[in-house]
Amino acid sequence: MAGLPLYILLASGEHEKIQLAAMIASVGAVSDRPVEVFVSMDALPAFRRDIEPAERYHGGPLHETFMTSKVPDAMELFSNGRMLGDLKMWACALILDLHHWEVEKDLVEGLFDGPAGLTVFLASAEGGQLITI
Amino acid sequence: MSERQKIDARGAFCPGPLMELIAALKLAQVGEEIEVLSSDKGSAADIPAWVAKVGHVHVGTTEQDGCWTIIVRKAK
Repeated sequence: MAGLPLYILLASGEHEKIQLAAMIASVGAVSDRPVEVFVSMDALPAFRRDIEPAERYHGGPLHETFMTSKVPDAMELFSNGRMLGDLKMWACALILDLHHWEVEKDLVEGLFDGPAGLTVFLASAEGGQLITI
Repeated sequence: MSERQKIDARGAFCPGPLMELIAALKLAQVGEEIEVLSSDKGSAADIPAWVAKVGHVHVGTTEQDGCWTIIVRKAK
């Protein structure tokens, strides 16, 4: 039986927090729990298409350790969650507009279900557990 | 019985070994066993917990020199 849906609002652009969101989302999704992630604010630029990890990720001391060890890449973890479990991802429409970006053209390929507004996401999240990162 | 599939996830950190196991389970037949080698202590605890949650079988875990061997049987 599927568990309570998990909703993750990812707003931080710090590598450590993106990594945590990716871990929660992927493990939750493969553990019979529907998961939805809303990527907004400073987090969205980390999901740009065709950039190197050095440009994608910024953070503190732990970020440096992530970059030099075999910690799974956050984008790959999100992708694993989508491939192996029930994970949906939404890009914040406001941040897309401000950067003049489009999901299909400017964000990591195959990672997002589309653009979405906060109101719709929060309304959906009333039916589950909301985590803000 | 078919030969047990082995996944060498040594050196990979959480949740890498679990993700590799799940990908292999998707392709495995019911009743097939998969052996995961992991040097990640967290995964040694997390994999049996995940297996129990989703309804597969944790056959057993052994540890030698900081490397865990976790055997899982696909049950559904």
